[in-house]
Amino acid sequence: MIWNDWLVALAPEWILLVGACLSLAVGVTRVSKWASPIALATVVAALIVAIRLDVPRNGDVLPGLWLTSLTFYVRWITLGLGSLIVLVNWHQPAANERGEYMSMILFSLLGVLLTASANDLVVLFLAIELVSIPTYVLVALSREDARASEAAVKYFFLGALSAAILAYGISFLYGAAGTTTIHRLVGDTVQSTLRTNGAIGVPMLIGLILVFAGLSFKVAAVPFHAYAADVYEGAASPVTGMLGFVPKLAGFVALCKILTALDWNLPSEVNWMLWIVAAATMTVGNVLALLQKNVKRMLAYSSIAHTGYMLIAVLVGPVAGQGPMRDGVAALLFYIVVYGAMNLGAFALLACFKTNGRDVETLDDLGGLARRAPASALALAICIFSLMGFPPTAGFLGKLYIFSSAFSLQPNHPMHGPLIALAIIGVANTVIGAAYYLRIVAAVYMGGETDTATPVGGRPVRWGLALCSLPLLVLFAWPTGLTTQVRTATTILHHSIRTGSRRVAAAIDSVRTAPTDVAPATVSQAAATYEHHANP
Amino acid sequence: MTIGLTHYLVVAAVLFAAGLFTMMTKRNAIGILIGVELVLNSANVNLVAFDRYLGPGRLDGQITALFVIVLAAAEAALAVGICINVYKNLSTVDVDTATRLQG
Repeated sequence: MIWNDWLVALAPEWILLVGACLSLAVGVTRVSKWASPIALATVVAALIVAIRLDVPRNGDVLPGLWLTSLTFYVRWITLGLGSLIVLVNWHQPAANERGEYMSMILFSLLGVLLTASANDLVVLFLAIELVSIPTYVLVALSREDARASEAAVKYFFLGALSAAILAYGISFLYGAAGTTTIHRLVGDTVQSTLRTNGAIGVPMLIGLILVFAGLSFKVAAVPFHAYAADVYEGAASPVTGMLGFVPKLAGFVALCKILTALDWNLPSEVNWMLWIVAAATMTVGNVLALLQKNVKRMLAYSSIAHTGYMLIAVLVGPVAGQGPMRDGVAALLFYIVVYGAMNLGAFALLACFKTNGRDVETLDDLGGLARRAPASALALAICIFSLMGFPPTAGFLGKLYIFSSAFSLQPNHPMHGPLIALAIIGVANTVIGAAYYLRIVAAVYMGGETDTATPVGGRPVRWGLALCSLPLLVLFAWPTGLTTQVRTATTILHHSIRTGSRRVAAAIDSVRTAPTDVAPATVSQAAATYEHHANP
Repeated sequence: MTIGLTHYLVVAAVLFAAGLFTMMTKRNAIGILIGVELVLNSANVNLVAFDRYLGPGRLDGQITALFVIVLAAAEAALAVGICINVYKNLSTVDVDTATRLQG
C-alpha cells in the first residue's frame, strides 16, 4: 500500500496524534485553558472522520496493522465515549496543567485505536502500553493530594510489572509461532499464525498464560485486581471514570485478538484457568464492594465484578452463532460500551459536587442529594440501576446478552456445562451486587440532608453526566442500532473460525477426550483430517 | 557442551525470577524500578535467543527487543517523575510509608 492510503485509512489516529501534540503545545502558553476545547474538538473530529471514512474492511493486511470491522466498531465507541471523558474532565486539572492533562487523555485514546487495528504482537504490546502509560500520568496529575501521588506509585509499579510480564509472554508466543504477525491473508481466507499446526505446545502454553496474566492487570481481574480500589480512591473522580473504561477496553480487545489467533479453541487448561478467574473476579469484586463506605472504592470493586461478567463472554467466544444473544464477543462489545457509559456517569456525578472543600466520596457525603439537585440525582440513579442490571436500562440488556450467550452453546462444546454454571454464578453475583448499588441510591434519595455539598465543575461535566445516563434509557428502548453494529464487528471472527484449522483442532480435541474403545477409528480419521489440512 | 536455545531460556527465566523477587522485597521505589527492568530484559533475552535459534532470515525478535528497550526507557523516565512527585509529598521514596490508601 502506498503511503497516501495509509494516511486516509488511519485518519482518526492521525487526527488524535495532531490534537494531542497541539494540546501539549498550548499547555506551555498563556492560553492553556484552551486545551479542553481543543481536546474535545479533536475527539469529535476524529469520531466524525471515523464514521464517514469509507475504506475497504477486512480487505488488505497492512504491515503490522489490519483494519477489520472490529477495528471500526472499537474506533466509534472509543471516540464516542472519549468525547464524554473529555467533557467530564473539562475543569478537573489546574489551569496550568490542562495542556498536559488533555494530551494524555488523547494519547490514551489513540492507544485504544491502535490496539484495535494491531496485527502484530509488537504493535499490540506498544499500543497497550500507549493506553496505560498516559493513565499513570493522569492519576498523578489529577489532584493536589498526597493520596493521588501514592495511587500513582502503586498504579505505575504494578502496571510496569504487568507490561514486563506481557513482554515476557509475547517472547514465548514469538518463539512458539516463529513470527510476530497475528493474522495473515492467504488467498481469500484469514489464517491465524499462532496456531499453524493444530496443537499447542508447552512454550505456547507458557506464553498464553503469561499474556493473560499481563492483560488481566489491564482489565482488573483477580488476582491482579488489588490495585483498583487504592487507585480509584486516590485519583480524582473524572480520571477514575476513564480508568474504568479505557484500559479495560484495550485489554479485552487484545484478549479477543490473541484468542482469535488461536481460533477460539483453547486447551482445556487455559479454559479452566479463565473459568476460575472469571468466577473469582465476579465474587471477590461484589463481596468486597459490600464492605465499603467510600463510594469510589465501592465502584472500584464493582468495576472488578463487571470484568468478571465480561470474562464469561470472552470464555463463550463467537462459536455459538451470530448476534449478541448467542455470540459471546458481540455480547462483550455491547456490554463494554454500556459499562463505559454507566461507570463514567457515576463518577461524573461525584465530580459535580464538593463538600467542605474536598471531593464527594462517602455515602454520607451524598446524603439527601436528590432534594438539592434532583436532575443530577436522577442521572446517577439511572447509571446505578444500569450497573445493577435493572430494566429499563441498557445494563439489563448487556447482562441478558452475556448470560444468554453462555446458555446458547452447543451441548458438544467442551465447556458447555461449566459455562452454564458460570452464568448461574454470574446471576447470583448480580443479586449480591444489587445490595450495595441500592445503598448508593438510598443515600441519595433517603439519606439525611448534607448542607455542605456545593456544585462545582460548571456545565461541561453536567453535560457529560446527562450524555452518559440518557443513552442508557434510549439504548434499552432501541438496542437494534448497537446490536447491528456489534454483529457486523464480529463477522471477521466468524470468518476466521470457519477456516480449516478450527476443524482440525476440534477433531484432535475430540480424540483426546474420546473413550479408548472407540478411539482407534476416530484417531485415524482425525489423523487423516489433520494431514489433509496440514499438507493440502 | 554446546550452548543451545535452552540455556538462553534458562538465563531469561532466572532474570525473570530475580526481577520479581527484587520487586517483592525492595521497599525503595528505585529498587522496585530495577526489578521491573530485570523482568523486561528477561523478555529481551528470550526474544533475541528465539530469533537466533528459530532459523536464519528472521529479524522480528530483534526488532521487538529494540522496541521493548525503548519502552523500558520511557517507563524509567516516568518512574523517576512519579518518584519525585511522591518525594515532594512524603519526603521519602520508601513505599512502606505510603499507607494513606487502605480500606
